[in-house]
Amino acid sequence: MWLPVLFLLIGLSLGLLTDITIPEQFSDYLSIAVLAAFDTLFGGIRAHLEKKFDERIFLSGFFFNISLAACLAFIGVQLGIDLYLAAVFAFGVRLFQNIAIIRRLVLDQQKNSKQK
Amino acid sequence: MKGRQIIIISLVCAVVGLMAAIQFQSVNEPTQRDTRDLFEVRTQIQVEQKKQQQLYQQIAESEKIIEQYQEKTQEEQIATLKNSIEELKRKAGLTEITGSGVLITIKPIFFDGEAGQLYPTITPELLHRLVNELNSYGATDIAIENERIINTTPIRYVNGETYVNNHALRKVPVQIKVLSQNPSRLLDYIQVSKSKDYFAIENLDLIANIKQKLVLPKYEGMINVEMLEVNEIEMSGEQ
Repeated sequence: MWLPVLFLLIGLSLGLLTDITIPEQFSDYLSIAVLAAFDTLFGGIRAHLEKKFDERIFLSGFFFNISLAACLAFIGVQLGIDLYLAAVFAFGVRLFQNIAIIRRLVLDQQKNSKQK
Repeated sequence: MKGRQIIIISLVCAVVGLMAAIQFQSVNEPTQRDTRDLFEVRTQIQVEQKKQQQLYQQIAESEKIIEQYQEKTQEEQIATLKNSIEELKRKAGLTEITGSGVLITIKPIFFDGEAGQLYPTITPELLHRLVNELNSYGATDIAIENERIINTTPIRYVNGETYVNNHALRKVPVQIKVLSQNPSRLLDYIQVSKSKDYFAIENLDLIANIKQKLVLPKYEGMINVEMLEVNEIEMSGEQ
């Protein structure tokens, strides 16, 4: 369980140390991509805890969700509608659901290990 | 199989972390960076120092006047008061003023051509531009024909004529009297000014000459100070 955390920290420090920035007009896309990535990540953790993890679904979901969110934001900008809000809403709701399920699963696991 | 899952999740974690960090940095980046080099910063400091010096000078002058009020007898106080009023009137442009400066004559340019030519007129925009430029070149007092330019002087376009101080300006040639501390420098500035080009577009020529003695008329109208309010700043520190 410590490996993902370590990698997350590596990624964060890499990003902060290399001083990479993106132009302001693309920051909307990146923010929504980050959200989509978080959603996929928590979905993966949940599936892992439920022992239903499939790496093909996980990886395809990761890339597909990010591109879909970016596409939606792009179309929204072209049409003058804040379509990225739809993606924010969808991912936000799913993020909360996934975290709630993860919490329950972790609590259940703790309960089971205590009973044993 | 389990190990591979962990590695994939870890790699995705790393990518997510990278993306989040980049986003964080992009959002936090200051929008405007100070790109001035040493020389520009120094120039800026000099400008500010000059300003400071001027302010100190003003403070000193004001303090001197206060001292005069406090120390002297009643008659002298009244005299000081009258001096102050005179000084303020002079600054506001309510007195006739004599000094060295530049006399600008605006003349029409005629050129030979088949097609006829309209008699050129001065538009308010041109005059505005010229007055602004003269002020920035260090003019202390300006009069257009017999109209003294004060801080609130309107230059407007009314019914096809240009009005200065609510009086119609006559047709060109028109004379503009400009007083300055340093007339020769002002003349140099006028010779190369943008206004000369703008006037030339309208078939008008600016001819400037230094005059040792120029008499500027006083402002005739009433200065409307209804909209003015005392800016009450709470005093702080020693009083």
